[in-house]
Amino acid sequence: MRRRTGTAYGFLAPYLLIFAVFWVWPIVYSFWLSFLATRQLPWTFRPAMTWGRLAVDPAFVNALKNTLLILVVQVPIMIALATVLAVLLNSSLLRARGLMRFAFFAPVVVGEVAYAAVFRLMFTADRGIVNKVLEAAGLPSVDWFSNPTAAMALIIMAVTWRWAGYNAIIILSGLQSIPDDVYEAATLDRVTPLRQFLFITLPLLRPVILFCVVLSVIGTMQLFTEPFLITNRGGPGGATETLGLFLYRQGFTVLNFGYASAVAYTIAALAVVISLLNLWLGRERA
Amino acid sequence: MAGVTLRGVRKAFGPLQTIHGVDLDVGDGEFVVFVGPSGCGKSTLLRMIAGLEDVTAGEIAIGGRVVNDVEPADRGTAMVFQSYALYPHMTVGQNLSFGLRMNGNPTADTERRVAEAARILQIGPLLDRRPKALSGGQRQRVAIGRAIVREPEVFLFDEPLSNLDAELRVQMRVEIARLHGELGTTMVYVTHDQTEAMTLADRIVVLRAGRVEQVGRPLDLYDDPVNQFVAGFIGSPRMNFLAAESLGGGRVRLTGQGGVEIALPVGRGLAAGQKAVLGIRPEHFEAAGQGDCDLALVVDVAEHLGATSYLYANTKAGEPVVVQAGAARSAQAGGRVAVSIPAGRAYLFDPDGLRLA
Repeated sequence: MRRRTGTAYGFLAPYLLIFAVFWVWPIVYSFWLSFLATRQLPWTFRPAMTWGRLAVDPAFVNALKNTLLILVVQVPIMIALATVLAVLLNSSLLRARGLMRFAFFAPVVVGEVAYAAVFRLMFTADRGIVNKVLEAAGLPSVDWFSNPTAAMALIIMAVTWRWAGYNAIIILSGLQSIPDDVYEAATLDRVTPLRQFLFITLPLLRPVILFCVVLSVIGTMQLFTEPFLITNRGGPGGATETLGLFLYRQGFTVLNFGYASAVAYTIAALAVVISLLNLWLGRERA
Repeated sequence: MAGVTLRGVRKAFGPLQTIHGVDLDVGDGEFVVFVGPSGCGKSTLLRMIAGLEDVTAGEIAIGGRVVNDVEPADRGTAMVFQSYALYPHMTVGQNLSFGLRMNGNPTADTERRVAEAARILQIGPLLDRRPKALSGGQRQRVAIGRAIVREPEVFLFDEPLSNLDAELRVQMRVEIARLHGELGTTMVYVTHDQTEAMTLADRIVVLRAGRVEQVGRPLDLYDDPVNQFVAGFIGSPRMNFLAAESLGGGRVRLTGQGGVEIALPVGRGLAAGQKAVLGIRPEHFEAAGQGDCDLALVVDVAEHLGATSYLYANTKAGEPVVVQAGAARSAQAGGRVAVSIPAGRAYLFDPDGLRLA
């Protein structure tokens, strides 16, 4: 028995080694780093320069506000959309079901840079198709990249486009785990399809939807790609700067590793707290 | 209260026809059981009555009203599903009242119906529990309760007991019989278990491959099956079938028995040399020498249940024969036994399975 355990660890060793060096060590080390002033050598223990600075740094507060705004607006819209999508994808009336499911899942597979470039093209002020359509509909065209509110809306739309299908597929799997005969029983009970959705489907999907919400919260807390690539590094003027982007700037542009570490821990802590709050709100009541 | 009438009912899924024209009258207050092997169409037929499947051709009437195009909820039926189909996120009480609440039934009446169903099924103490916290038997009661609160004219049961263990099944079988006695409502019940069919039914409908093979009271089917299929399906253990050949003049030779002959008055219509199948139920064998034709058997497995013993044996030609032997406690696997077929208890079928006698 002992030897078998030893053999197993032998096989696991390469993975464990890499895990320790590239995962465990950075996590531990960055925690230590978050207490160090790293703007000049030698690094010294000065938490006031990192944790202390969080509360008084307007740039951090701005990034935090932006991130929370995206969270509060984008996650509910996306999850609602994903739920509706999942129900449509599950419909027996739908033709080419496999193709449709792939189509909605595809954005996740598309390369981030390519997708960002296409979005930039579509939303370009004078030649973008979006403004062309708006104008054709008699609406004023929007300056997507220089109007702070429009830029924020653009980020929310982009993130929603990219992840709604992904969440829809997860919710779809939850839908398919609800047995048909429950709906048949409801039909015999003269419950209309809409009410079946509200009183049967939604309550039964709650655990899956909650899972999607938690995943989305974590994703949004780390949001980086869209503001970096689509709205020009959080532009205009920091209007779409997120915590992820702020962390990147502090860590890899300014090279202030101590402060960046403190931001990283803050992001992780916020993600945990908000997720726990979600789980608590959505808990099964006895 | 209402009966159910089927006239030339057919069902096709695309080019595949699964129900080939069923005619049936279920009387008001009658307990009718559809029985047959898997895939015989019994559940499909039931679901067509419920309105969960379209009728491809023919007519279904409930209480004299043709319901082909009537919504399932408006047919006056209530269905109990094999998998119970309870709403997992609702308590037992909510499960029972859901349909009524959704349809704006007055609260006082809903409460009365739920209380009445809970009383009939003795599930009062469970009303605040979720289905997850119930045993299989309790879930089945709730499923039946959900049908009762609708106060239907016809109850439809789709293999309601097949997910229960043997002991519970017997218990629930008695409960359902009691329920029928108490409510007096028409019930149509689907099962593949002939014991359930025999014990519950006023009349049994035996189905095979989408066709009705025979309709009749349980003992009539047992005593007087119209063909080899019904003879084999009704009765447990099933009827034994032995290859036979007519010798003419009412005598039949059991071909697997090295020429043992038996005189069957019914075999008279058969020409000499015509093939046939002789059927004899396990409980109808007599001791060697007491019947009309002795069989020598080698016991394969002996099951001694106390009150009775079943010998799973083979003839010389390797035909399997089951013998119910009340007094044969001493028989053991590998042993030899001799039994006798009384001609009056034997059935004769032609090679197509049609009953000759």
